[in-house]
Amino acid sequence: MRNKWKLLLALLAIFSLVAAACGDDDDDTSTGDDSGETETDEGGEEEGAEDEAPEEEGDMEEEGDMEEEDSEGESEGDMEEEATGEGLGEGFNVGLTFDLLGRGDQSFNDSAAAGIDRAKEDFGVNVSEITPVDASARGTDLQLQAENADLVIGVGFSFAADAATVAAENPDVKFAIIDDSMMDFDAGEPIAPNAAGLVFSEEQGSYLVGVAAALKTTTNKVGFIGGMAGIGLIEKFEAGFEAGAKSINPDIEIVSQYITEFPDFAGFEAPDRAKEIASAMYEEGADIIYAAAGLSGSGMFQAAAETTEATGTKVWGIGVDSDQYLTVDPAVQEYVLTSMLKRVDNAVYLVTEAVANGTFVAGETRYDLASGGVGYSTSGGFIDDITDQIDAAADDIISGAVEVPTTPGG
Amino acid sequence: MKALEALNRMPAWARYMIYALIGILVLTVVESFESGDVSRLTADTASRAMLKWSVPILLAGLGGLYSERAGVVNIGLEGMMILGTWFGAWGALEWGPTAGIIIGMAGGAIGGLIHAIATVGFGVDHIISGVAINIMAPGATTFLSSEVFGNRTQSPNVPGVGQFTMPVLAGGDIFGLETPDILGSIADQEIFYLSDIANFSRGLMSEMSLFTVMALALVPITAWAVWRTRFGLRLRIAGEAPYAGESLGVDIIKRKYQGVIISGALAGLAGASISMELADFYQEGQTQGRGFIGLAALIFGNWKPQGILAAALLFGYPFGVSLRDLDGSSTHALLLVVALGLAAVAVWAWTRNAKSDVILAGSFSLGMFVWYLLSDTAPDWLPNTMPYVIVLLVLVFAAQRLRMPAADGLVYRKGGS
Repeated sequence: MRNKWKLLLALLAIFSLVAAACGDDDDDTSTGDDSGETETDEGGEEEGAEDEAPEEEGDMEEEGDMEEEDSEGESEGDMEEEATGEGLGEGFNVGLTFDLLGRGDQSFNDSAAAGIDRAKEDFGVNVSEITPVDASARGTDLQLQAENADLVIGVGFSFAADAATVAAENPDVKFAIIDDSMMDFDAGEPIAPNAAGLVFSEEQGSYLVGVAAALKTTTNKVGFIGGMAGIGLIEKFEAGFEAGAKSINPDIEIVSQYITEFPDFAGFEAPDRAKEIASAMYEEGADIIYAAAGLSGSGMFQAAAETTEATGTKVWGIGVDSDQYLTVDPAVQEYVLTSMLKRVDNAVYLVTEAVANGTFVAGETRYDLASGGVGYSTSGGFIDDITDQIDAAADDIISGAVEVPTTPGG
Repeated sequence: MKALEALNRMPAWARYMIYALIGILVLTVVESFESGDVSRLTADTASRAMLKWSVPILLAGLGGLYSERAGVVNIGLEGMMILGTWFGAWGALEWGPTAGIIIGMAGGAIGGLIHAIATVGFGVDHIISGVAINIMAPGATTFLSSEVFGNRTQSPNVPGVGQFTMPVLAGGDIFGLETPDILGSIADQEIFYLSDIANFSRGLMSEMSLFTVMALALVPITAWAVWRTRFGLRLRIAGEAPYAGESLGVDIIKRKYQGVIISGALAGLAGASISMELADFYQEGQTQGRGFIGLAALIFGNWKPQGILAAALLFGYPFGVSLRDLDGSSTHALLLVVALGLAAVAVWAWTRNAKSDVILAGSFSLGMFVWYLLSDTAPDWLPNTMPYVIVLLVLVFAAQRLRMPAADGLVYRKGGS
């Protein structure tokens, strides 16, 4: 009798282990299923497209030829300006590899997902998505994608090193990495002839929200929370924010704090720590804080809500990457003054379009204010009274009258 | 020397009180060396942050105590905490904060039960089972999260638990009646040291979350339950000499199950405190290794509740202070505190004629002191590494004094020996 119970419990334990393992897998395959579904959905369209198929196939073959020409081109060393041949047209395969957390992070990854969803509709591409389960498997994930895809997109600078290796091993596949230029700066040429780096002028967007903060503050003290110090990426946000705030009021006080230092990436997903930092800043008199810290930012909005309730004076937070007014919990929506927009969705969409049209360019592609790569949001209507001044600042940046620094303390 | 002997004869609570007063004195003195007019090291915000960030570590450590006192090594604390973060948030969203606390504990207890079945029922190696739970728990919560919240990484905002401020001493309400804030008024006098003590203690008594109150209450409760009750005696027998206990008719298997399940429940509570109190929502990976730090606190605290409390506060303090340290001065001052602490260790080793320890601690202390003098701000990574450094130091200098339960980690088979 006793043994039977033990057996039952053992089975239960085994089952729960299996179920848990499936939980993870399930999730990955469900995204896989998505692409599977789109494949069948698109199947109809593709069949329709197959009426014009001869040409298309011809294109494909030509594309193969072009690749060879590319490698010849590479030896000439002027790949950077040269588009890599004719496009793949519609219905090619895209492998989208998310950063940790993947779809549903309400920020960076969701923005990339929005871009690929748009591309899926417009170019009928087949998308397979991977969300890495841990940081060590990035190279494997990219290689896995490269086996089937014509274009592999890596969301996040952490893919850069692995992408360089995998790109060299898969010369027929195009790679696009977000937030890394994929340039060999010593040689002044792309790291690989088939790898593009999509980078943003975050400092320009941050400048604009800095302007907004300086115009809206009543205490002449604003704060900045960075996710992780030490690699110069988040410092660009701080530099722009600082420059923007000081352009309105040179005497404004800016307190700044980073949650972690490289290589501790926990700072991007530690809302509890961001909340503590933000409360300290609000207590010391800052009334607007800009958080460039990924998921951690939601902790800042929470702190804003609690401080406002406790003291009766309204304090604000400024969001980052996506329009956080739309993504935060409704309870803290009224504390989102504005958000610095980093249009990862546009970058993903445009690079897919480039591959479709054959205008893919290796090396750095910069998305700045002028090209609509960065900007600010107005959802909530809290800054409607000052949009004129912010837009004026934006015009100054676009015209080149104002140059935004990329390192803080300028 | 006589003073030290007198200190050793004192009851434990008085000894710890004296350590705390010495600690605040050191902080007050160090603080006066720092430029800047804000007294951040002994401020009520500092002690409040310390307490707040120690709570998950303390609860996890206490959880580990119940399991290891019953002879089962619980490296799965981290996984049980992760279960607690999800179940706590889910319960709070569905049925309110109180339910969140209970369901969070239940979630952790499920993890404990699995660990108990594996290690006690089947005699699986404790480490292997614990690691399996640490791998399984995040998978399970990710799956549950995507099924229930429709978002695999994050839950909506969770309603918070209430706060408590001690009446009379820190100005809390009694049934809506305002009471004086005695400590606050002493703190405002700005008397050297006395005001620092008042302000620091005020931070420990005001705006405490329900989790903090529960965690602090669990320290004496655990000390009483494990050392002063029949249940506790049998629990400890299971961890010290299970076969001797068995020969006296103690149901060792049952005690081990109880210990590990309580352990899981407390780890679940620790997880719930993170998702419900510190972050206000569930998020994938938000325990950030605090289960392991709780395990370190258990070792540092010599498998005793008051030791775990001291360790948790010691780990929470630099962490909380550095987060609130906007100009880098407090973290910098902590370098001097560490240097002084190491110097004290060197002196202590000297009295015991442990020459190599004196040299080791002395040179570390000197290094820290030089670092303090040569720099204006300390790096941000320093406070994050402090728990590990402190544990390493304790293991180096006091390992002989640590004593784990004799049968901890050994597989027990009924009727064996």
